[in-house]
Amino acid sequence: MLRLLATIRKEWLLLLRDRTGLTLLFAMPLVLITVMAMIEDAPFRDYQELKFDILTVDNDHGRLGRYIREGLEYTGQFEVVDSMNGKPVTQQQALDLVNKGDYKICIVIPKGATGAIVSNANRIVNDISKRMGIPATLPVGTKKDSLNVAVYFDPASKKAFKSAIHQALDNFLTQVETDLLLERIKQQLRKKDMPETDTMEIRLKAVGLQEQLTGPSKQIDVISNSVQHNVPAWSIFAMFFIVIPIAGNMIREREDGSLLRMKLIPGSYLAILAGKMLFFVCICVVQFYLMIQVGIHLLPLLGLPKLVLGQSHAAALMVAISIGLTATAYGILVGTIFKTPNQALNFGAISIVILSAIGGIWIPLEIMPPHMQFIGRLSPLSWGLDAINDIYLRNMGVVHIGGNTGKLVICAVVMLCIAGAVEKRRMS
Amino acid sequence: MTSISVQDLHKTYKGALEPSLSGLSFSFPKGAMVGLLGPNGAGKTTTISILCGLVKADGGQARIFDLPQDAANREAIKRITGIVPQQIALFPHLTAVENLTYFGNLYGMKGKPLRSRIDEYLQMFGLEKAGNKEVHRFSGGMKRRTNIIAAILHQPQLLILDEPTAGVDVQSRSMILQFLREYNNQGVSIVYTSHLLEEAQTICREVVIIDEGKVVVQGETAALIARHPECRNLEDVFLHYTGHAVRD
Repeated sequence: MLRLLATIRKEWLLLLRDRTGLTLLFAMPLVLITVMAMIEDAPFRDYQELKFDILTVDNDHGRLGRYIREGLEYTGQFEVVDSMNGKPVTQQQALDLVNKGDYKICIVIPKGATGAIVSNANRIVNDISKRMGIPATLPVGTKKDSLNVAVYFDPASKKAFKSAIHQALDNFLTQVETDLLLERIKQQLRKKDMPETDTMEIRLKAVGLQEQLTGPSKQIDVISNSVQHNVPAWSIFAMFFIVIPIAGNMIREREDGSLLRMKLIPGSYLAILAGKMLFFVCICVVQFYLMIQVGIHLLPLLGLPKLVLGQSHAAALMVAISIGLTATAYGILVGTIFKTPNQALNFGAISIVILSAIGGIWIPLEIMPPHMQFIGRLSPLSWGLDAINDIYLRNMGVVHIGGNTGKLVICAVVMLCIAGAVEKRRMS
Repeated sequence: MTSISVQDLHKTYKGALEPSLSGLSFSFPKGAMVGLLGPNGAGKTTTISILCGLVKADGGQARIFDLPQDAANREAIKRITGIVPQQIALFPHLTAVENLTYFGNLYGMKGKPLRSRIDEYLQMFGLEKAGNKEVHRFSGGMKRRTNIIAAILHQPQLLILDEPTAGVDVQSRSMILQFLREYNNQGVSIVYTSHLLEEAQTICREVVIIDEGKVVVQGETAALIARHPECRNLEDVFLHYTGHAVRD
């Protein structure tokens, strides 16, 4: 026990002496998650949450144009721009602006669109009326070709963005057509046998859609937003960067001969290693909770959502310890295998970036191709993130995270065994 | 009783073309002060590493105070042996007291007894005012002296020093040599390696000269010099046995 405590004290003193290193160890991860949460905020928002300026060229000048404008504004998602400097936007002007990227979307309502929709609605109503034995009286146009509302996107727009906007506009046009059709049906039926005062409500949505929670949680809906993904994800990434100071520490001890002296002293070197690991695991856990505090207190001040924690704090602590243990063991392995701090720094840093990229830290694993998802699930960082998501998003407890924390601990033990074998081989 | 006894030690490192040790044998009685001398690559460091248990010999046997150096006795041998490596095996960013406290703790010492011993040794080596200074701020001589204190904190019966005075000034060297004489007078066996043969001649009653992994000569320092009338000192004896060819 004395060896273990003495080693913890020694590591603490060494860390205190390196004031710059100490500051970087805690400050850089905080800066990292703040920056990452902010820059990844927009891609994480659903497109429905964002507001776009939408250039509208109304060649119809009819009810459809008015309906579309009012409807778009009513959704709150679009700000309709149909004039500039007091003059209506022309089609060519709108296309140029979108092409330059000044605007993301432009819709052009063709001439006669209102007439086409009304005519189509009238045709349907007349047809229904005829089948019901009611005289068909609503006027129908002679043109049978359907018109299209043209949508233009900024060429730099992403496919997912286009698809989401397309779907929103399509839904909206369908809604306008349905409204007009229902209005015509009501009008026709009212003519037949209903008093003028009858409102005759037609309710189409008999069956609705409502999102429900899957878990036993009493907590209300937690959305996987930028903060909810980025704070835990980049916290895990930053914790793994403990590899650099640990590997450096191991190599320095080997180079300056202090490792040799420790090995010349009776008693197990494992107790010294355990003290070193315990110290760095504690550092990782402190880093984790500091970063969580940033998600709770700092990010909301910057206009981002507040990090919502799960209900099992014991489970979160267990995950933080497991991640810290794996990161520390990885540092010891890197520090044992490589001979110079430069080698360890380069390998350590790049390998963490790779493990984090494939492990779903940068972008969620779910949106990667299947073969990358398979590879990604082998990354210890993905186990850590899965466990955190289980606690924070799925409100699970200690029992449910056992699988992932178990994998992390086993991985740590395997890495320590490899480090032990490498060191033994080196000594012999 | 012998303090060190090596019999027919053999060692060839993996990938090496030549063996480091090829049948090395020597022994010293308890309480001896012996110089283990040899040119570069003679096998001194390998011998010390085998004696410490850091390296396993391919053949032969090493004994410390009659205990065979094997897995069963390794811990017991570490307890009675102090090693002063050629490197300054200290944490540069800890103070001398912090370094010595840490290594003392690893030896199982703690509290007031440890602190008193540290203070005693710091004073003995003229470092009492520098105890709370970080080691990387020390001069070469101060580092060497602290390096020695770290090896004797647990009061070993055998002290092995690998070039303990390399790169230090005359004053520090004199202090170190004086300490070694006094320490040996207390009954502690000392094995000392150095390329400074004048120094070895001054403090070692007995020397072993090894070359190419074998003992070329062993005996009392004064007797060896006297045996060769053409040799004025230990350096001449050394060159007589190992030749003038430069070693890499």
